[in-house]
Amino acid sequence: MKHILFIASLLTLLFSNPAQAFEDDSGCLLCHKYPKMGRITEKGTKRIYQVMPGVFGSTVHRNVPCTDCHNYIKQLPHREVTEGVRCDSECHSIKNPATGKNFTHKPIYNKFKESVHGREKIETGLDADKPYCVTCHTNPIYNPAEDKLPENIVDRCVVCHEDRDFVVNWYKHTSRRIREVKRSPSEIVELCSNCHSDKALVERHVEAAKKEGRELGRKYPIAVESYDESFHGKVTRYGFTKAANCLDCHAKKKNYYMNVHDIRPSRDPESPVNPKNKVETCRNCHIYADEGYAQLDPHPTSSKEGNAFRYYANIIYGWVGDIVIVLLVGMALLETIGRRRDGVGWILRKGSSWWRKSKRNRDRIQ
Amino acid sequence: MKLSAEAQNVLDTAMRINNTDAKERAEIEQLIGDMPDDRVLLYKNVVSNPIGDLPRYSIHIRIQHMLTFVTFLTLAFTGLPIAFMDAVWAQPLNNLVGGIDISRVIHRTLASVMIFSMLYHVWYLMWITVSDISKGRFLIQRSIIPTLKDAVDFKLDMLYFIGKRDQRPEMDKFMYKQKLHYFAAAFGNLVMILSGSSFIFPEFWAAVLPEGSASYFQEMMRLSHPHEALLALLVIAFWHWYNVHLAPGRFPMQWTFLTGKITREHQIEEHFLEYIRNLVELPEEREYLSDLLDARELSPAADDDTLKTAEEPA
Repeated sequence: MKHILFIASLLTLLFSNPAQAFEDDSGCLLCHKYPKMGRITEKGTKRIYQVMPGVFGSTVHRNVPCTDCHNYIKQLPHREVTEGVRCDSECHSIKNPATGKNFTHKPIYNKFKESVHGREKIETGLDADKPYCVTCHTNPIYNPAEDKLPENIVDRCVVCHEDRDFVVNWYKHTSRRIREVKRSPSEIVELCSNCHSDKALVERHVEAAKKEGRELGRKYPIAVESYDESFHGKVTRYGFTKAANCLDCHAKKKNYYMNVHDIRPSRDPESPVNPKNKVETCRNCHIYADEGYAQLDPHPTSSKEGNAFRYYANIIYGWVGDIVIVLLVGMALLETIGRRRDGVGWILRKGSSWWRKSKRNRDRIQ
Repeated sequence: MKLSAEAQNVLDTAMRINNTDAKERAEIEQLIGDMPDDRVLLYKNVVSNPIGDLPRYSIHIRIQHMLTFVTFLTLAFTGLPIAFMDAVWAQPLNNLVGGIDISRVIHRTLASVMIFSMLYHVWYLMWITVSDISKGRFLIQRSIIPTLKDAVDFKLDMLYFIGKRDQRPEMDKFMYKQKLHYFAAAFGNLVMILSGSSFIFPEFWAAVLPEGSASYFQEMMRLSHPHEALLALLVIAFWHWYNVHLAPGRFPMQWTFLTGKITREHQIEEHFLEYIRNLVELPEEREYLSDLLDARELSPAADDDTLKTAEEPA
């Protein structure tokens, strides 16, 4: 018996890895552990269905059993999956520690559905261009903060919270939400730009809106390029964190994390960039902003259609600059030619620069 | 040399202001009479100290120039990578100056130093002008204020450069080129301060400007700041540095901005009227010139011979 116990514990040590320790009560890994699990869809997309326990075990969903999300799987082997995981499903295994109810993303999901980006999991046509939850929430599998936990912090916590595993998990949970889930301003700009700078996508929506007689935001076609041109855009792209990024103006500041899922077009009275709300939105940063201030363009453009005033001013400025430089350099050249004709040289030596022979019949007396 | 009416006027005024006594007057007039008729021969034959012979800029002006050019260049190096962010050189240059968090602090700090330099300059000019007026020494021609003469000088100088005249015009302490540059820089400075202030205090400008015009003003300022900066940098690099460093006779550099002194040959060539004043104000310069005229036999009688010998081969 002792030997069996010893071998069993040795095997456990060899094959267990804390990262792999996630619940597979339904035995999904029976099939999904195989690297060859996959297929090529009718559209020709290669889909891989392998689940790597070590990888999944380090994601934020590591404690959620497969069938809580893949709740359409009722039998094994299962039928063809049509819709896949919807992010508004309810976990039966995880409780919301605050309310004691089953955990779900439903509140934020519903908020998102009401926003201009709202869509179903499976969409065709123009709505397929909109982002679904996973477009932005990529469930990152690597969190550098989890790699090396700060010993001093964990040591301090276990003084009262005796269970070190609990503290480690708690630390990982919060550190990930504090840093990794929150994007930096330049990452936010990059995220929004992924779709909004896609010319073909933007063109599709502009055309459709025109056809349907729908109104689109004035800056919609040039949202990214004009922001990138702006002072906010430039310093944010350089990594400065205090200038406005997309969400600072387009999402309501109050209850920010909920409202970033509720982006609305500027024509919507709820939108913070609706003409009625602009002053208040500007005041989030520019506390002395007034009506006049709210008219300043945060998406400046020098295109003729976008801003004819700026377009012509820019051209005039360019010409004035070019003419000034050409005239001044021309004058300097003329001056050099004229003075050299009279015998000036490049170097002041022995007290004079006028050693060359003049073409005007008057030379320095040698 | 027989002075032109203008130069004679400058001489008379200078002698009056300096209370030149009769003996000195006679000496100066004698000396000027001995100068060769061809002014070119004078500046071709003098001996100049490369770091300068004759006073030109006071220590205040030199400090102001130093403050302005050091801040200007650093402002350009910290600002242009932001304005022209998508250019290939922008990101490396921005990293070189410490990244956006550092460069914006440098930019704003140096902007205030530049504004200080401008105020210092304006204050100094007012002080020196009032002081000169009260002493009866202020001369508008000797100041930087543009006059009609500058337009005439410009035309005459261009004619000399293209070979239609054999003399450059008699110009004052500040010639047309310097006045042009000075006022361009002053204008540019104001544009940069105004537009820079509209970036740092946009709410202020929106509040003071009539509603509806604030956005146009801001657009103009957004364009003005980088355009003016680039133009200023190009003018400095291709014109100012050429004039003071690379032009023949100035190479490798004019020391005036450090020593405050101008070379003798440069003074006679481009600021002849100021040189006349130097002769009145500086007895040692009279002595130098008198010795030179003797040593080189440049006085009109001798001058005639020189001209003849020069003409013979032709």
